[in-house]
Amino acid sequence: MSVLRWAVLLATAVAVAPSLLAQERDVRAELAARGAPPEFVNVVAERIAAARAARMPAGPLLDKALEGWAKHVPAQRVALALEQLRARLETGRGVVVAAGMLEPTDAVVAGAAEALARGLTPEEVRELVSRAPGPEAAGAGLMVAASLHAQGLEHAASVRAVVEAYGTDLDPARLYELPSVVAGLAGQGMRMSDLARRIMQGGGLPLPPMAGGVGQSNARPGAVPIGPGANQGVGKEKRRQ
Amino acid sequence: MADGRTTWSAGAHRYAEGAGGPPEDAAERARVDRFGAAVQAYGRGLPSLGDELDGRVMAAVRARPRPLPATWWRRLAEPRPVSIRPALAAAAAVTLILASSALTALLTRAPAGSAPAAATPPDGTTGSILVRFEVRATGAQRVALAGSFNDWSDSSIVFARGSAPDQWTVTVALTPGRYQYLFVVDGNAWIPDPLAHAQVEDEFGQMNSLLVVGPRGVVRS
Repeated sequence: MSVLRWAVLLATAVAVAPSLLAQERDVRAELAARGAPPEFVNVVAERIAAARAARMPAGPLLDKALEGWAKHVPAQRVALALEQLRARLETGRGVVVAAGMLEPTDAVVAGAAEALARGLTPEEVRELVSRAPGPEAAGAGLMVAASLHAQGLEHAASVRAVVEAYGTDLDPARLYELPSVVAGLAGQGMRMSDLARRIMQGGGLPLPPMAGGVGQSNARPGAVPIGPGANQGVGKEKRRQ
Repeated sequence: MADGRTTWSAGAHRYAEGAGGPPEDAAERARVDRFGAAVQAYGRGLPSLGDELDGRVMAAVRARPRPLPATWWRRLAEPRPVSIRPALAAAAAVTLILASSALTALLTRAPAGSAPAAATPPDGTTGSILVRFEVRATGAQRVALAGSFNDWSDSSIVFARGSAPDQWTVTVALTPGRYQYLFVVDGNAWIPDPLAHAQVEDEFGQMNSLLVVGPRGVVRS
């Protein structure tokens, strides 16, 4: 190998190294950009580095740290919240791996942690992962099940609704419509207990067809009456062109 | 000899090439000798190339236009044998993969304080949905929206006054996903959205509003 080739290789490595370290610096840079003092930055950066070393997703931790700083939460309180979140991520990752997903994505691990935080059992998390058609659906399904439960739906019915939606061979992103379906039905006066019974009896949460697009939400068809009428005047949303 | 041509034996071939003695068959030996004599006669009839041949060939070569200098492109384009050391090739491959991953991460990372349209969705999906937020804040001078979609910045998404008194509205582009947020009134009061899908603990002793945005939009509670 010529000196020139070694030089090119070395130059490439030198050029790439800062990029590889960029994420680590982002934590400090993003907190510092918001005026966080060095002590706060260090507390957060150390915990995020430890989480990364344990193959935990750093995104939820950084988001929680930014939230804490924005709300003027004391550094030690933020550190405690990060420790608790990291523990949940670790538990969530273990549950996901036990469900057969040996190399889970960050979204799946974060979803599992969120589902556990909202009261779903490890068995339910395993079911949401093992019955998902893929990692993307698993990540979305976990987040959605946690959200449905937060909306007041029993956790068993929340899991059942997501699992049944898995079976409809839909785009995983459409799982995120389920909370709006629940909100729409609740807006029409359906009680959560009745909705849970309907789901557990196999009624599911029917998703409206995509045809017509969100921009025509005034004319949403189908048996699920979601639309401005159930929106309590908040306003309608439409697809960005 | 059915086709009129003579077939030589192996011994005749060796004899013709000077590598062996004459074949035992006298007729065959005579044929080989006649062939040899004919070849020598043909050679004597050829014109002499002369000693000046090398000079004429080199002169012709020098008269032809010179090829372009070897550029980096020619070196890459022209076929030539290349030897590769497996360890070095593996190192180069790893370097390229790491460089690609790092570049991708840098290009897809939302800048701090960016507009929500640039926020990375939690599920990696693409396609933005315009979501309108409304709040009534009596006597407020300024209302902002802070959440997981804008790194909880209390200054990047600011409400505008609505048509009704004390009504504030803002529309943001969000990708399908699950978000937590709060309204920030006059920079110090963090209040939840009563029309969110749910209210969840924020782990700091307060509550966040939860909104899940689907590909078709949002129906609030």
